[in-house]
Amino acid sequence: MSGQGGGMDAAGREARRGSALLRLSTGIAAAQDEDAVCEAVVSGLQDRALGYDFVGVFLVDPETGDRVLRASVGWEGTHEGYRIEPGKGLSERPLLDREVHYSPDVASERSHVHAAADGSEVDLPLMVDDELVGVVVVESAERNAFGTEDLEILTAAAQQAALAIGRVRLLEVERHRSAEFRALLDTMKDISGELEISKLLHALLERAVGLLGVTGGELAVFDEEGGNLLIAASHNMGSDAVGSRMQLGEGAMGRVAQTHEPLVIPSYQEWSLRSAQYTRDTVQSVVAAPLLIGSRLVGVIAAVHSDPVRGVGQEDLRLLELFAPQAAVAIENARLFSAERKRAEEQRALLDTMADLAGQLDLGRLLQDLLKRSVRLLDVTGAELAIYQEEVGDLLIAASHQMGADSVGTRMAPGDGAMGRVAETHEAIVIPDYPAWEGRSEKYVDGRVQTAMAAPLMIADRLLGVIAVVHSSPERRFGDADLQLLGLFATQAAIAVENARLFTAARHREQYFEDLVQNNPVAIVTLDLNFDITSCNPAFEELFGWSKEEVLGQNLDQLVCDEDSVDEAASYTDHAYSGMVARGMAKRRRRDGTLVDVELAGVPVMVDGEQVGIMGLYHDITDLLKAQGDADAANRAKSNFLANMSHELRTPLNAILGYSEMLAEEADEDGNDGYIADLNKIHTAGKHLLALINDVLDLSKIEAGKTELYLETFEVGQMVEDVIDTIRPLVEKQGNTFEVECPESVAGMHSDLTKIRQILLNLLSNANKFTEGGTVSLAVTREGGDDGDWLTFRVRDTGIGMTPAQLERVFEAFTQAEASTTRNYGGTGLGLAITRRFSHMLGGDVGAESWEGEGSLFTLRLPARAPVASPSEADLGEASEEGPGESGTVLLVDDDPVARSLLRRILTKADFRVIEAGDGSEGLRMAREHTPDAITLDVIMPGMDGWATLQAIRGDSDLADTPVIMLTVLDDRSMGDALGATGYLTKPVDRQELVETMRIHCGSGSAAS
Amino acid sequence: MTRILLVEDDEMNRDMLSRRLVKRGFDVTIATDGQQGVDLARSNHPDIILMDMSLPVMDGWTATRTLKDDSETVGIPVIALTAHAMAGDQEKALAAGCDDFDTKPIELKRLLGKIEGLLQKEG
Repeated sequence: MSGQGGGMDAAGREARRGSALLRLSTGIAAAQDEDAVCEAVVSGLQDRALGYDFVGVFLVDPETGDRVLRASVGWEGTHEGYRIEPGKGLSERPLLDREVHYSPDVASERSHVHAAADGSEVDLPLMVDDELVGVVVVESAERNAFGTEDLEILTAAAQQAALAIGRVRLLEVERHRSAEFRALLDTMKDISGELEISKLLHALLERAVGLLGVTGGELAVFDEEGGNLLIAASHNMGSDAVGSRMQLGEGAMGRVAQTHEPLVIPSYQEWSLRSAQYTRDTVQSVVAAPLLIGSRLVGVIAAVHSDPVRGVGQEDLRLLELFAPQAAVAIENARLFSAERKRAEEQRALLDTMADLAGQLDLGRLLQDLLKRSVRLLDVTGAELAIYQEEVGDLLIAASHQMGADSVGTRMAPGDGAMGRVAETHEAIVIPDYPAWEGRSEKYVDGRVQTAMAAPLMIADRLLGVIAVVHSSPERRFGDADLQLLGLFATQAAIAVENARLFTAARHREQYFEDLVQNNPVAIVTLDLNFDITSCNPAFEELFGWSKEEVLGQNLDQLVCDEDSVDEAASYTDHAYSGMVARGMAKRRRRDGTLVDVELAGVPVMVDGEQVGIMGLYHDITDLLKAQGDADAANRAKSNFLANMSHELRTPLNAILGYSEMLAEEADEDGNDGYIADLNKIHTAGKHLLALINDVLDLSKIEAGKTELYLETFEVGQMVEDVIDTIRPLVEKQGNTFEVECPESVAGMHSDLTKIRQILLNLLSNANKFTEGGTVSLAVTREGGDDGDWLTFRVRDTGIGMTPAQLERVFEAFTQAEASTTRNYGGTGLGLAITRRFSHMLGGDVGAESWEGEGSLFTLRLPARAPVASPSEADLGEASEEGPGESGTVLLVDDDPVARSLLRRILTKADFRVIEAGDGSEGLRMAREHTPDAITLDVIMPGMDGWATLQAIRGDSDLADTPVIMLTVLDDRSMGDALGATGYLTKPVDRQELVETMRIHCGSGSAAS
Repeated sequence: MTRILLVEDDEMNRDMLSRRLVKRGFDVTIATDGQQGVDLARSNHPDIILMDMSLPVMDGWTATRTLKDDSETVGIPVIALTAHAMAGDQEKALAAGCDDFDTKPIELKRLLGKIEGLLQKEG
C-alpha cells in the first residue's frame, strides 16, 4: 500500500512485490483442489509486502448464482460458506461485465455490503475459459489505496487463480471418474470371488452407497415368477426390510420396477407415494434406478440421503445409472454362477479327458479315469463302464469305480441289467429305485446301488458302450439335468473310447507294418517323388551291401543298376510312378559290383488318393534260379532215362516177341503142335510186358508234365466209329453185345483226338474185359450250359461190377479189383489211372459207378473246347482266364488294364477266347506264339505304339494275314490304311459294334483254328 | 523176287526179321549201320528199304535224307522202324523223307501189309 509503505524506497518495494507474487504463483500452482487454490490466492495476496487489509475469494454456486466465500483473510465475522445473493454487493460487478472494478472510495458506492466501511476496493473476475466462476475481492481501509501497479498485480493473480481453478476442476472430474471406475472394477472383482448371492448384493449396495456418498440404500431383486420385488439387501435404512416383498408400483422401488425408468425424489417425506416405513431420520431424498439386462428387469437399486440439505440430485442419478447395468450383470452372473461353475467343471473334465488321450494309450486306464471324473462331476457314489463287443454282441465291463466287487472283465448280455437295457434300446435310462426295479442285476444286492442312471456311448448310430452311475442313497434323485450331463459325458466318452480304439488300431497297424518291413526277407526300399531313397529295411542292406545311412537320399536306379539295366529299371520306376504295380525279373548290382538276380516289384504308395512315393521290393532269386536250373536238368535227365529205358527194354522184348511168334509158326509148319501152346504163352506174356512198359511210360510222362496235347477240331461221330471198329472184335470174342448211341447232333469238338481215343479204348476194353456174354454200351451226348459246351461219354457194362472198396480205388495206379484180377483178366492196372489223368488234361473228368455183380458205369465228361494251358500265359498271370472261345481267339493289345478288362468282358460273353498283352512288343510276341484269329490294337501305347506294332505284324509272314482292328480315340484311317489295318473302332467302344466286327473277321464257325 | 534192304544194327532183331521175311519169299540184304545202308542202296538198288532209326555211324534219319536227296535212290520206298513211345521219332522220320513207318516190336502181318502197299504204289 502506497500510504503505508511511504518510507520505503521504490526499488526495495518492487523487489518484495516480485517475491510476493512469485510465492503466490507457486502456491496456486501447487494447489490440488478448489479450496487449496482459493487459500493460495488469499495467503499470497495478504503478504505484508503488498499491504492489503482484506482478501477474499468467492466462487459462484451454479445452481443459485450466489457468491460463496471459499477463503478470506482480514475480515472479522465472515466465514467460509458465507453467501452473497445475486444483486447485492460491489463484488457482483465483475460477474456482470467480466471487467476488473476499482472503487477508490467505497463509501460513495451505494450497494456496498459493508455500508459502514470506508476505504478502497478492487473486484476481479475469475474466468475459466469463458465461464465466470467467481470473484476475487481485495480491500484497503484507506481510500485511493490501489495504484496502477497494484491493479496489474491483482489482475495477473486473478488470471492465475482462474487457470488453477479450471485445472483442479478438470482434475476433480478425472478423479471422480477414476474412482467410479475403480469402484466398478472392485465390484466386478468381488463378483468373481463372491459365491453367495446375498453377500454379493450386500457388497454391491454398500459400494453404491459409498460411491454416491449417500447415507443409505436398498437393493431388491425382481422375482419373475411372483411378479414382485424381493428386498435382498439394505444398508443404513433403520429398520431392516430384507426378505420383505413389494408389489410393482408400490413405493419408489416398485414404481421404478413398473416403469423401468429411474426416479429422483428430492423430498421424500412430501412424496405422495412414500412408505411410512422410512422416517425423516433416515430418508429425506431418494434416487432409484432399475437393474436391467437388455430390457429384462433384474432388480431395483435405491439410494437415500438423510440430510435434507445435501439431498440427492441428478449427479447421484448419473452415478447410479452408471452403476446399475454393472450391478445388473453382476446379479445375473451370480444367479448363473452355480450353473456356470458346473459347466466350467464339465468343460474342465472334458478337457482333461481329451488331454489325457494324447498321453493315455491304455484304453483300460483311460476308461477308469473317465469313470472317476464322471463320479466327481455327477456327485454319485459309483460308476461302471462297459464296452460293446460288436463281434460277439455283448457288453464287456472295462472299468468300474467304487462299485464294490470288481466286475472288470465280466460280460453282460444285451438286456441284462441297466447297462444291458441301454445297450438294447440305445436310450439313456433313470432308475429311481434300483432294488425294486424289475430289471435289476443280482450283482448289486448289497444295497450299494439305490438309484442308478445309464447312458449309451454312441458314435453316430453305432453303440460303443454304456456308462452307468449309481448312488448308494435313495435320496439322490436323478433329474433331467443329471441325465443331460451324463449324456454329454457319454458322448465325449464315446469319442474318447473311439479315439483310443482308433489310436490303438493305428498304432497296431503301424507296428505291424513296421515289423513286416523290418523282418521281411524281401528287400524293401521306399522312394519319394524325386526317386530318392527315403528308407530301406535290413534285407535291403543285406542284399545290396549298402547301409541305410549310405543310401538315404540317393537315387535308387543309379545305386543298384549298371549301364545295361538302367533303362529297363527306369521303365519299372516310371510304371510305378504312373500308379501301377510293376513286376519283373532282372539283374541288379551290389555295392561290390557283383550282379544279383532279383524278382522285383515297384508299388505306388498312395495316401488319401495321392501318390506320395513308391516302394521297391527285391527278392533274391539266385537260389530259386539255381533250383529251377537243377530241376530242369533233373527233369531232362529223367526224360532221357525214360526214353532210353523204353528203348533198352523194347529191344530184348522185340526179340522175345518176334522169336516166340516165329517159333510158333515154324512149330505149326513142322507139325510140332505140342510146342505151340507154350510158345503162345511166351508171346502173350511178352505182349503184356510191352503194354506195361508203354503204360508206365505214359504215366511217367504225364507226371513229369511231359505229355503234350495236340489240339485239333474233329467230328466226334467219326472218332467214335474208329474206336468201335477197333474194339468190336474184342467184344465179340467175349460173347458180348455192343450197343452204341452217338447222334449226329454231338457234332465236332476241339481237343486231343488221340488221347480221347485212348481213353475210350481203355474204358471199353476194361468194360469188355470184365463182362462175358453180357452187354457193353457207349452213349455220347452233348449239353450246353452256363459253364460252356460239354460232351459226355457213358460206358456201361453188365459185368462183374465192383465192391464199394474197389470202386474207391479204381482210378489209382497199379490197383485192380484184386491181385488175381490181373491173372484172370489181364491188363496192366494203369489204364484207368492214365484215363483219369488224360481227362483232367483235357479240362474234364471221369467218374465211375458200380453195382457188384450187375456191372459198372464210367462217365467221361469233356469240354467241347479243351483249354490251352500255355506255360508262358500262366507265368504272366494276367493273360489267361479262358472263355469258351467258340467264336475264335482274340488278342487284345492295350496298355490300359481297365480298357483290356472291359474288352475282355464283352468278348468273353460273346464266346471269344481272349488273350491280352500290355504293350506292342508283348503283343507281337503273343501273336507269334498263339496265332490268334484277330488282334485289337490300341494306337497310343508307351514304347512300341499301335502303328509300329501293326507294321511289325504285317511284316511277319506268319501273322501278315491276321485281321487287325485298330481301337483308337484318334480317327486316323489313312495312316491305318497305309499300314494295313483291317478295321477301326473308335473309343469308347460300342459293345455291339465290337462283337460284330470280331465275328466278321474271326469267321462264325466253331472250327476257329 | 522182291528185294528188301534191311538196315538194322541189333543182331537179334536183324536175324529174326530177315529170317521171317526170307521165309515169306523176299530177297533180303543186310546193312548194319546207316552208311552201309546208303552204300548198299546205291549199289544194289533194292525194291524197298526197312530202316531202323537209331543206327551207328550214320543214323536212320540222316541216311534216309541222303537217299531221298539222291536222284538215283529217291524213288526207293523207305519204311522207318521206330520205337513205340517216341512219337517224335515217327514225325522226324516222315520229315526225313520216309514213306511210312512201323512200330517195334514188329507185328509181321502189319509190316507185310505196309510193304505190299508201297510196292503196289510204286509198281
